[in-house]
Amino acid sequence: MKDQIGRTHLYHFHLQNGKLASFAGFEMPIWYKGIIPEHIAVRDSVGLFDITHMGRVTISGADVEMFLNYVTTNDVSTLEPLSAHYSTMCNENGGIKDDFVLYRQEENHFLMVYNAANRNKNFQWLTKQAAHFDVEIKDISDRVAMFAVQGPKAQETIQGIVEEDLRDIKRFRCGWTKLGDLKTFISRTGYTGEDGFEIFIWETPVSNPEKATKAWNAILQAGKRFDINPCGLGARDTLRLEAGMCLYGNDIDEKTTPLEARISFVVKFKKERFIGKEALLKQKTQGVKRKRVGLKVLQAGIPRPKYEIFKDERKIGYITSGTFSPLLKKGIAMAYIQTNHAVTGEEVTVKIRNEKSKAEIVKFPFYDANQYGYSRKL
Amino acid sequence: MVKVKDAEVPEGLYYTKDYEWVKIENGKARIGITDFAQKQLREIVYVELPSQGDSIAQNEPYGTVESVKAVSDLIAPISGTIEQINSEVQGSPELLNEDPYNKGWLLIVTPSNKDELNTIMNHAQAVEWHNTL
Repeated sequence: MKDQIGRTHLYHFHLQNGKLASFAGFEMPIWYKGIIPEHIAVRDSVGLFDITHMGRVTISGADVEMFLNYVTTNDVSTLEPLSAHYSTMCNENGGIKDDFVLYRQEENHFLMVYNAANRNKNFQWLTKQAAHFDVEIKDISDRVAMFAVQGPKAQETIQGIVEEDLRDIKRFRCGWTKLGDLKTFISRTGYTGEDGFEIFIWETPVSNPEKATKAWNAILQAGKRFDINPCGLGARDTLRLEAGMCLYGNDIDEKTTPLEARISFVVKFKKERFIGKEALLKQKTQGVKRKRVGLKVLQAGIPRPKYEIFKDERKIGYITSGTFSPLLKKGIAMAYIQTNHAVTGEEVTVKIRNEKSKAEIVKFPFYDANQYGYSRKL
Repeated sequence: MVKVKDAEVPEGLYYTKDYEWVKIENGKARIGITDFAQKQLREIVYVELPSQGDSIAQNEPYGTVESVKAVSDLIAPISGTIEQINSEVQGSPELLNEDPYNKGWLLIVTPSNKDELNTIMNHAQAVEWHNTL
């Protein structure tokens, strides 16, 4: 993935059925039917996403646990085989190099899935940091297709076409299975806030898209009775935003720390050393100056990245992600604001072009977690 | 109805390359966005319009339409004074998707310079232009 435009195995499906746009060097579907119906399909039933554009590396070797505990912020030693966790890699200043999900496939063999935009940067960083460890890092991005099946009907959709009893795969657990006759790694993870699975079709190079296409079609067929929707990156973005999940490049970057982003649960200070520890520890002791919060706009207007936030005519922060929420039918946003104002329920104003709209600081997720999301009470 | 590659381009209207249409009715100009524009934007969820009595100037932004993902400026096809705005689309922005040439109109203005109509596209020119999109 240098300067060439990337296409996934499903490029022809996307071209025929969707609206394409360039994202992180890939020609990807932004929508098929439209962002709103695809979004609602995932909240109410089930949706299928091609997320093959994401970066995938395997990291293995005798020192792998030591290495990953050094280069990432979460504690890898607590991760059992066939389980996964959310984590970050930071630079020496505690700034986030990327966020990702790390899967322990075997005692000494891990799979890391990170953002498409950071594929080259991460591979180089990991390789550089690995110099003094006995580990092997392999980029398998172009040999594995990756789909997400998300929504309350995700399990029922794919149960009919995989061998494994999916009830045994709890949230953030994973395992090997067969989808039809295809070697498949499956995990109960996702980027929508809903229950669902991420499916890795192994050994299917982009140059030979047959296996991946077969799996994609099998999932669409299996989900027919639930009106499964193929979903584009548009709905993926609105879903993750409603769920309160960060998007790298918008809500987090190398100038933002996990503490400011309020994902400090991925930073384990009890580890002896890891890249960024000193800086993060200092920030933890001194307290952060700004924090990521959720904003719900109370008046007209849709908040967008870079819009400024005010309290009593004083600028206190700015928006990093914002959209129309298909579920709440209101403008919602993520913003960084001064810590003393980052209080749930506090009213602020958002400058939307020439108008100032009232907004309220709210908790994540934006929706009622009893009604929507993976912990919904049915 | 004339259709060019999926987009409706009704006869009797003037068009701009900023995807707006103008319809002259008893000396007043009714203004809206084209079918091509609404199809590109897809789900329109917000419309911001100026007020009655305000003036608009040709090629200058006078408002915005927003889809879930994007913000687009509305660019005035001609200059004039706003007689009426379509407040219905502010409450139901989906009208721009459903019926861009009728219920989804945006403004009625009194043109300040009728010659400006010669600087934008007539129907035949608009059909030709839509073919290049």
